Amino acid sequence: MKSIGLSNELASVVGEDGVLWRAEDLMLYEYDALSSMRQPDVVVFPRNTEQVVKIAKAALRHNLPLIARGAGTGLSGGSVATEGGILLVFSRMKKILEIDLENQRARVQPGVVNLDLSVAVADDGYYYAPDPSSQKACTIGGNVAENSGGPHTLAYGVTTNHVLALEVVLPSGEVIHTGASHWDRPGYDLTGLFVGSEGTLGVVTEITVRLSRKPEAVKTILAIYNQTEDATRTVAAITARGITPAALEMMDGFCLRAVEEATHAGYPMDCAAVLLIEVEGLKESVEEHADEIEAVCRENHAREVRRAKSAEERDLLWKGRKTAFGALGRITPNYYVQDGVIPRTRLPEMLEFISTLEKKYDLHIGNIFHAGDGNLHPLILYDERNRGQTARVILAAKDIITRCVDMGGSITGEHGVGLEKSDLMPLIFSENDLDLMRRIKNLFNPDGRLNPGKLLPTGKMCGELRGGLLGGGTA
Amino acid sequence: MTVALDSVRTELAALLGVAGVLTDRAACAAFAVDGIVPDFIATPSTAEHVASILAFANEHQLALIPCGSGTKLSTGNPPKRYDAALSLRKLNRLIHYEPADLTITVEAGMTFGEFQELVGRDGLWLPLDVRGGAQSSIGGIIAANAAGPLRQSFGGPRDMVLGLKIATTDGKIAKTGGRVVKNVAGYDLGKLLTGSFGTLGVIVEASLKLFTKPPARATYLIRAGTLEVARDLRGRIRCSPLDPLRLVVACSDAGVRLRDSAPDGGMSETDLWIEVSGSDRVTRRCEQELTNLSAAAGADLERVGKAEEVWDRIADPARWLQSKYPELSILKAALPPRASEEFLSRGRQQAESEQIGFAGFAQAGVGIVHACLLQQTLTPGTAGAVVKLRQAAEDLGGTLIIEHCPVALKSQIDVWGARGDDLDAMRKLKSAWDPLEILSPGRFVGGI
Ligand SMILES: Cc1cc2nc3c(=O)[nH]c(=O)nc-3n(C[C@H](O)[C@H](O)[C@H](O)COP(=O)(O)OP(=O)(O)OC[C@H]3O[C@@H](n4cnc5c(N)ncnc54)[C@H](O)[C@@H]3O)c2cc1C
Repeated sequence: MKSIGLSNELASVVGEDGVLWRAEDLMLYEYDALSSMRQPDVVVFPRNTEQVVKIAKAALRHNLPLIARGAGTGLSGGSVATEGGILLVFSRMKKILEIDLENQRARVQPGVVNLDLSVAVADDGYYYAPDPSSQKACTIGGNVAENSGGPHTLAYGVTTNHVLALEVVLPSGEVIHTGASHWDRPGYDLTGLFVGSEGTLGVVTEITVRLSRKPEAVKTILAIYNQTEDATRTVAAITARGITPAALEMMDGFCLRAVEEATHAGYPMDCAAVLLIEVEGLKESVEEHADEIEAVCRENHAREVRRAKSAEERDLLWKGRKTAFGALGRITPNYYVQDGVIPRTRLPEMLEFISTLEKKYDLHIGNIFHAGDGNLHPLILYDERNRGQTARVILAAKDIITRCVDMGGSITGEHGVGLEKSDLMPLIFSENDLDLMRRIKNLFNPDGRLNPGKLLPTGKMCGELRGGLLGGGTA
Repeated sequence: MTVALDSVRTELAALLGVAGVLTDRAACAAFAVDGIVPDFIATPSTAEHVASILAFANEHQLALIPCGSGTKLSTGNPPKRYDAALSLRKLNRLIHYEPADLTITVEAGMTFGEFQELVGRDGLWLPLDVRGGAQSSIGGIIAANAAGPLRQSFGGPRDMVLGLKIATTDGKIAKTGGRVVKNVAGYDLGKLLTGSFGTLGVIVEASLKLFTKPPARATYLIRAGTLEVARDLRGRIRCSPLDPLRLVVACSDAGVRLRDSAPDGGMSETDLWIEVSGSDRVTRRCEQELTNLSAAAGADLERVGKAEEVWDRIADPARWLQSKYPELSILKAALPPRASEEFLSRGRQQAESEQIGFAGFAQAGVGIVHACLLQQTLTPGTAGAVVKLRQAAEDLGGTLIIEHCPVALKSQIDVWGARGDDLDAMRKLKSAWDPLEILSPGRFVGGI
């Protein structure tokens, strides 16, 4: 069996306990948060860059696919071994290598869990700004690969705006260092290219990020609406007023009830939608902005506007928001989450459209998303055992994505193209556009062994969603 | 040039019209780069024309330098070849603008001044204080990833570009990114183009993220006196809850004046310039904090009215220093922020020992330092001083490029300096997109 010889070889690099090859062990690695596909031939847990290089060279020798994986929380099938091969899991490379507060930098291994970095510098008044809702589990390596966002990236920028330098192992086994711990290293911005490349150009083994200072004051506002449209109008109105809140999230009543039942955060059970808004900065400016935002909410018919009175209350509201996907898992066997982006002024129109799809396809669609930057996350609930329903879910998802594109938006704001949307790329990119991307891929990953079947169209299912509901999407 | 000028003129004139191709010496001289005068200037007015010119140039292996307003063409090694300037000045249309979404799409040749005026009507701006100022073109700003002291609050072009349309050397037009503020579809090729100094493709259109212009701002000057005091104060400001828009440590021994209007316009040994924004209440609070900090450091604080002039000069030292110091060199060190003052100090010493006048401006929040060597004529010791300053920047954990200097200096020293183990990847990237090296050949890092 190919995997036994290979596992022995890899065990000589990382030790016996660093390799999994039995079918029952591999099963745990056949899916991510989107879908399950097939098992990798072998799973390996490197401890350092040197071992990653050796593993990359082994993959090269055996002509096997090589796929990097962080925590497997990806929502586009990015770390699924579509063609088998070696799965490189970073859970043993989770050291924070250096914290340099004076220069507001940290150097970490890719397996460091996002929140752990913020926790490590919290007492000194710093944090790592990009905060995906999955931040308790997802890794910074995965964040870099997906260019992840989060509720607070509205004001502070997504992962790419906070990454300064990378160490990357190319599929050839060559190691390169891009960027620097300072800005503007001369040359092409390869760091900017690798961030968001979904593990298809190189394996990231070290990351230098910027740390941010915690603001003096924070105010968290909960605006409650009886009409969804009033909430979405408020979003556009806040932007138009020239206020950039630190976060501006929306949850519809359907999601809220699930969240409230799971977390008891104090969300109302009987409304159509809420906005969770946060402003940060000097205490004087925070007060002014909070007042102004409250006024805008009221002008747009908010039924009630509350402010969190304590840090505990604030944490609870955020806990509700950040665990929302999980909460929905309590009421549905499966859900499928989309990640399209539209210009924020089009939100009212879009949510109206989504509600017509619910009727058209007889489905439940929840909405819980980063409203401030127009990044939708419609959650389509279903039961995978119901074939007919599953087919309708795909149709609804495709309709939503198509509408995003028609509105001048994008097919993905933060979850990545992955396996799922690779064949939808032609919806927004021409053959010329894709050709430039292919040239990049051919440079770094010429035989396509690194994370095959992701990001670029496979040409097999042109214009269709892939992988999404092949028995996965389990909540 | 491998092809007769006449036939170039005929072929391109058929495409661009007679006015679109200029070959007369005087016109061409205005587009000289590092003393090299191109044989012709092509001025397309559509993206498709840009693509056709590239295809034509590729076929005949003509070397082109894309240019907007030419405000940043002094940055780069002398071109290996330079047959034609590709002027994007006529590509200056507004393509799409949605103020309520804070997004805009414009052609690359639109000047920054025109751009700011356009969005300024809606209370918006692109918060960049770039060299070249209003004259610069949007495409040039992106190609140079040009940013000034405002960067500590808003980031640079790299953080503001949402999407680009580019013309490639195979005569095609491609786009990357999009128009919405969040987007991870496909490789982020915009990052590669941003800061590529016209060596990969020609930016013909850009979609950008806009910001609301702060309604009120205030500038303060702290006469720190010495770099030690400046460092201490800068550190305290960075650790305070204040989040200034701009924070610059300026030092000079040459009596350089940042303000013409003020009676005491000369810079002291070392000054700290700080700009804050917000309502009256917020600026009062900032002023109070700054007053306390400077009093504790034994330095004076002054609120400066009409400070735009000062900020313009800090952002673009070449523009106002050039007339007095025609052979001026401006070095840009990129450092760990904490090393900014130390670099200024070494720069000043080094210049002094070579008897070169010195002015330095540190964007201390981000670690970018402009060191200006003030010279009427280049002295033989200049190259040596630059090498030592580059060494100093590297010793402090940074890098140093020459942003602006007399051509004579470029023959003695590479303007980009240190290279890393990713140079090979950069070279391959260049050859994947511009295999015949027709775009700004030899001007970039490592001879790219
Ligand atoms: C409940 C929930 C909430 C979420 N909320 C958000 C959110 O708010 N914002 C957001 O952006 N995303 C969100 N996500 C999606 C997901 O958490 C992010 O995409 C995250 O960055 C993935 O990290 P990971 O460590 O789990 O990576 P994985 O899922 O393991 O991998 C993701 C991709 O990264 C690649 N990769 C991983 N490590 C490396 C490496 N070292 N080098 C190269 N490539 C690598 C993989 O090959 C794969 O393509 C959410 C997911 C869930 C389940």
